[in-house]
Amino acid sequence: MATIEVRRLTKRFGEQAAVDDLSFEVQQGKIVGFLGPNGAGKTTTFRMLVGLVKPTSGEALIDGRRYHDLDNPRRTIGALLESSGFHPGRSGRNHLRILARASGIADDRVDHVLDQVDLTDAADKRVGGYSLGMRQRLGLASAALGDPRILLLDEPANGLDPEGMTWLRTTLRRMADEGRTIVISSHVLSEVAQTVDDVVVIAKGQLQYSGTLKTLIDEDGSLEQAFIRLTKHHESSHPASEPATAGAARIRDHFSTTTS
Amino acid sequence: MITLVRTELLKLTTIRSTWLVLLAAQFIVISGISGLVLTGRSLDDPKNVDIAVAHVGLASFCTIVFGILAVAGEYRHKTITDTYLSTPQRGRPLAAKILTYGAGGLVVGVASAVTALITATIWWSAKGKSFDLSSAGVWQTLGGCVVWDVFFAALGVSLGALLRNVTAAVAVTLAWIALIEGIAGQILGDGLARWLPFAAGQALGRATNPGTPHLPQVGAGVLVLGYVGIVVAVAAFTTLNRDVS
Repeated sequence: MATIEVRRLTKRFGEQAAVDDLSFEVQQGKIVGFLGPNGAGKTTTFRMLVGLVKPTSGEALIDGRRYHDLDNPRRTIGALLESSGFHPGRSGRNHLRILARASGIADDRVDHVLDQVDLTDAADKRVGGYSLGMRQRLGLASAALGDPRILLLDEPANGLDPEGMTWLRTTLRRMADEGRTIVISSHVLSEVAQTVDDVVVIAKGQLQYSGTLKTLIDEDGSLEQAFIRLTKHHESSHPASEPATAGAARIRDHFSTTTS
Repeated sequence: MITLVRTELLKLTTIRSTWLVLLAAQFIVISGISGLVLTGRSLDDPKNVDIAVAHVGLASFCTIVFGILAVAGEYRHKTITDTYLSTPQRGRPLAAKILTYGAGGLVVGVASAVTALITATIWWSAKGKSFDLSSAGVWQTLGGCVVWDVFFAALGVSLGALLRNVTAAVAVTLAWIALIEGIAGQILGDGLARWLPFAAGQALGRATNPGTPHLPQVGAGVLVLGYVGIVVAVAAFTTLNRDVS
């Protein structure tokens, strides 16, 4: 069953279409890379999925419903967005306590996610003193707070050092193994290639590819090659699409051995 | 809604600026009353007792800025994204903020009233006079000023929600109070200028300059509430319809 459905989604800012008639689906339990050059419309698509930006037309659905109509959205879908931030004078723990209180989540869940992102020691320090990587981990903790089945992560690798990247990869893999669906936007292709099952590629707001990573790599030799082909001359290329298939499971097996 | 109000309270109690607002209001009241005494006004004149306690209304400068931080401050620190991710029905956090900050305005107002009474009592007795609390005017002024502080906190919340930028909202507010109403007063004349929001706030707090025409206290209170209602309505409309990016 598709946990995320994007149907003919369009967002115009004036004359400019940031997202243009975009359709794709994400299946339960997959890690999906959401890729595109800067300005391709990735962030706008994410923001429409979680109801921060109103689509000009089309719809973005989670479990068949708009974000706005979910009973307790944080328990269904957690989002790490580039534009989310923290009050510098507030501690990391208090930031999470506020989110927990608003969504009726127990405070012991706060301790749990702090532990999951290795921030327990810094939890009572003010966020103003956090490094970029620590903020990114606090953002991830915020997204995971409601124990959601779906995670939407916009550039989660931003600000992470190589060690942090390894940590992120392991964390995402563990979360996926728990049956969660994870959509990651990233411009670090090598990172994506090591993590995801499926790939959605967009350029200028339009779909270029939606399918397994394996199919893409089989065709082009590497994700980089495929990405360049799909996004450089996207006006002349044909949007390709294939349903997510069993190929993804093989990829997952492959990567769970290489990343351990 | 109770959950959201409790959430807003937790937001307020986990940052220091909340306490700074409370302290700043006390500082304004203490220095205002001290200034009044030090400029050598007659402490025997019961009118000056009233003017002294009317400084509680100046705390409305603090409560309106405090209110502006409710939404515009969340935009500034980009916590608004998480607020709307938790509660995508955006009208609800806005309503919770108006309630919470209104209550915060009440706390600031009452604390300022206590500070004003203590400060005045100390000054009056230091000068060998007795500070007469028995006149009805004192309590009427204090009550009006506290309500003024509450209404301006709510006005601040909705202005911040409308403008979404702390600097812009604070600049517009201070320019309005310090300049625009004054200029408008010269153009419109005092008769019409008394209907403007800050002039109405002053009338509500019985803090008008002697000799300037002003509205009766209760009518002024209703008018300020009306202004709050209008700005809340516009802010609610834009809050529901604008994209958050």
